[in-house]
Amino acid sequence: MAAVQGGLADSEEEKDTKTDPSSDVCGNSNNANDAKPVSNSPGANAPSGATKTSVGTAEEQQTLLAVLQFLRKNNLSESVEILRREAGLPEGLLDVKGADGSGTGPGASAGGLEGGDASALLSRVTVSVSGVQAPTKACDQPDVSVVLSAYTQQGDPSLYAVYYSDLKKFIETVLDCHRAELSQVFYPLFVHMYLELVYNNHENEAKSFFQRFSGDQECYYENDLRVLSSLSKREHMRGNETLMDFRTSKFVLRISRDSYQLLKRHLQERQNNQIWNIIQEHLYIDIFDGMPRSKSQIDAMSGSLAGEAKRDANKSKVYYGLLKEPEIELPLDDEDEEAENEEGKPKKKKPKKDSLGSKSKKQDPNAPTQTRIPLPELKDSDKLDKIMYMKESTKRIRLGPEILPSICFYSFLNAYQGLTAVDFTDDSSLIAGGFADSTVRVWSVTPKKLRKVKSAADLNLIDKESDDVLERIMDEKTASESKILYGHSGPVYGISFSPDRNYLLSSSEDGTIRLWSLHTFTCLVGYKGHNYPVWDTQFSPHGYYFISGGHDRVARLWATDHYQPLRIFAGHLADVTCTRFHPNSNYVATGSSDRTIRLWDVVNGNCVRIFTGHKGPIHALAFSPNGKFLASGATDGRVLLWDIGHGIMVGELKGHSETIYSLRFSRDGELLASGSMDNTVRLWDSLKAFDDLETDDFTATTGHIHLQDNSQELLLGTYTSKSTPVIHLHFTRRNLLLAAGAYNP
Amino acid sequence: MSAPKTIPKDAQVMMQILKDMGITEYEPRVINQMLEFTYRYVTTIIEDAKIYSTHAKKSTVDADDIKLAIQCRMDQSFTSPPPRDFLLEVARQKNQTPLPLIKPYTGPRLPPDRYCLTAPNYRLKTVQKKVLPSAGRISVPRLSVGAVSSRPSTPTQGSSGVSVSKVPVPVSLASQRFTVQIPSAQSHAPKSATPPVLMSSSLIGQKTLLMSSSLSQSESLKRKHEDEDDYDAL
Repeated sequence: MAAVQGGLADSEEEKDTKTDPSSDVCGNSNNANDAKPVSNSPGANAPSGATKTSVGTAEEQQTLLAVLQFLRKNNLSESVEILRREAGLPEGLLDVKGADGSGTGPGASAGGLEGGDASALLSRVTVSVSGVQAPTKACDQPDVSVVLSAYTQQGDPSLYAVYYSDLKKFIETVLDCHRAELSQVFYPLFVHMYLELVYNNHENEAKSFFQRFSGDQECYYENDLRVLSSLSKREHMRGNETLMDFRTSKFVLRISRDSYQLLKRHLQERQNNQIWNIIQEHLYIDIFDGMPRSKSQIDAMSGSLAGEAKRDANKSKVYYGLLKEPEIELPLDDEDEEAENEEGKPKKKKPKKDSLGSKSKKQDPNAPTQTRIPLPELKDSDKLDKIMYMKESTKRIRLGPEILPSICFYSFLNAYQGLTAVDFTDDSSLIAGGFADSTVRVWSVTPKKLRKVKSAADLNLIDKESDDVLERIMDEKTASESKILYGHSGPVYGISFSPDRNYLLSSSEDGTIRLWSLHTFTCLVGYKGHNYPVWDTQFSPHGYYFISGGHDRVARLWATDHYQPLRIFAGHLADVTCTRFHPNSNYVATGSSDRTIRLWDVVNGNCVRIFTGHKGPIHALAFSPNGKFLASGATDGRVLLWDIGHGIMVGELKGHSETIYSLRFSRDGELLASGSMDNTVRLWDSLKAFDDLETDDFTATTGHIHLQDNSQELLLGTYTSKSTPVIHLHFTRRNLLLAAGAYNP
Repeated sequence: MSAPKTIPKDAQVMMQILKDMGITEYEPRVINQMLEFTYRYVTTIIEDAKIYSTHAKKSTVDADDIKLAIQCRMDQSFTSPPPRDFLLEVARQKNQTPLPLIKPYTGPRLPPDRYCLTAPNYRLKTVQKKVLPSAGRISVPRLSVGAVSSRPSTPTQGSSGVSVSKVPVPVSLASQRFTVQIPSAQSHAPKSATPPVLMSSSLIGQKTLLMSSSLSQSESLKRKHEDEDDYDAL
């Protein structure tokens, strides 16, 4: 769409004295093409030279209307008047166009509409507008593009195959070093050409085009191609939001300058540059100076629905450091656990400082400030928890390649494949399971049973001043090993305990996220916002905030005391399947079905990193405990490691053969555990993987990576379960690995 | 796979469709489920189309009617999420407001009660004093057994005199909240109102009971559930 506007801007300048703001969204490819009014060639000549009033064909009239609307949108009222007077257009025509506007315009317009007569065009607009379920957001933009796209230059449909095979021949003849890069063009070009043929109702040509060239594409695009093959009519395209987004967003390619020059020269020599048009309209070519990339480098980074990430997208500063731990003094004597431990309590003699606290008062330059986002203050119970945490961490086993953790596997029996989500509390005392029958069950892992708080009547009767009031408020009669929570009306796909063990969150296919109290085991709040299944949810490590991601392609940040989300992270092209907080709670990582991972800043909702490289929807994400690295697992069975600070991929762990559903770093980040549908848990040496990373300037600026093929060395162990896919992993505070899954005979 | 001869033709078609879409592993019952869905969908569409065609006073159902029926059904049941630009616009607006500051410790951080699911969804029927069953004592305005009477701040309730008309609290609701109005004949507390009793909520994650007693002159022992407004003041 932006390319079309750019083209229009060119034609504007020919006849207007005012200068339009030229759209600077387009990449180099567009700027290189200033001289050509690409998309408006048939119709643009008419208004540009028009001093006479005769407006010939209906096509030209449409162009005029589009131009008028564009001018009006940019507040160029004088030119509107002049143009209308000269072209002799009546007032009424413009308004009809405006009435059809709705937010779905880009979706409907992105194809190349045939220049038909006005009524056919309008009917098409209304048909496509009413078909898509979107609230009407009055916006002129879609109207213009609807009409403008009618003038996307179309070649003769039967020649598409010819153009494509010409390009194929050309690319096969270039130098080896350029060939890999230029081959990147094939897939987006193929998809867009096919979609244009379908959109313009050339069904047979589309089918033959598909049959002829779909086999040439890379293997990792197989699923997308299959979806494409099922679309043979324009009506099929309408309901598919992902495809619409694909058409409107630009597919990003990263090509070196030399290769790009070759391609451009070749395409511009030709008479019919339909391909060039498509490239300009739908592709964004991110040019870099330097050596062309090799095939393996390209393969490592490609695979997502929108191509790779622009280099600019990964340039902003990310504060990946950890927040400073609050100073809590450990008491020397253990009996004083319940007493408050504040700094400077004179009664304690020489209390130990906590080993995890920051000894240095200096601020880590990579860490966010404490007040960057508002965080809840620590309550007494939180301080007690922290003390427990520190005590346990002193007893923690330091893992390594020689010291592997023991793995304790919790199998859910008789779940009939209904287990859809699992979570452990941080101190590993409770397990929660979300099921396809819409229940949530909580079990106690320790011998201590689950108890509800007494009813209001009984609470009156207890002695409130007693020391063990916390025990007395619990109702012994309700003690049980597990509790069942009813409330959702659809399978529960995401589940998360709060760090203070007061609350449990569950997200479900019914579009709501429920907050349950773990003291009364009842539901407290239902957060409604997604109207579509919510695939994942997680509490922030500091409590109070939580995030959720769902089928509506956005992730939302909520706080427990607001019934509406605080932030909406929009940008993915397909469902958000996995959402994780960074350890410092300032950033959120989302993995999606469009095969990208995005890192969002909580403060302003901006996307600060885009990571491409997976070849399937991402189902597992894990941040390293030091906050610098991110590990991700997808349906392609690979675990990819990313350096957040530099924004590049630093490792690839191959080994699993099926979807990876769970990833977890050990408590000090020495090991990475991954669990997958192939019934195995694998342990990887993450210290070594992150160890000798030389990120030189070239890599940092261009994002080119040289991945070592050391998956085998990094694999420390493979542990197979008895036909139980592993859907959750958790390291206890002492570095014992817990795994959970449903037994699936 | 069982012998092809015994599988009806529709099921074979469905299996072929699944194969074409690249789905190779599925339970056998999936075919039945898909066939049921197909049948229901197609009949719904055709019925709708029939209605449209009679409305248009046509004698037969033609392609336009079917198209219209499909479109209307799609808007109704197979909605798709909003388009990307709309989401980006909404997100932009939402993300402009800064994150709200967190008030210092105020109890469980939950939205206003209107948005919570913690209100009781039942009401207890008021009981007339004289009509009580012979279940025991009449609603006598006095301290009941079990009260720790040394604490004047602990109101009690005469629990035996009230009949509950509905089954209390389904599991999904939270704590019961109700007020107990203790008539004036209370022997211990001449105070007009005792402060609400609240357990140290730092250790309990939810709002527990709120008992308030007032010296009303009413004679019957009434149990009313509290208005939600009272809780916001907490």
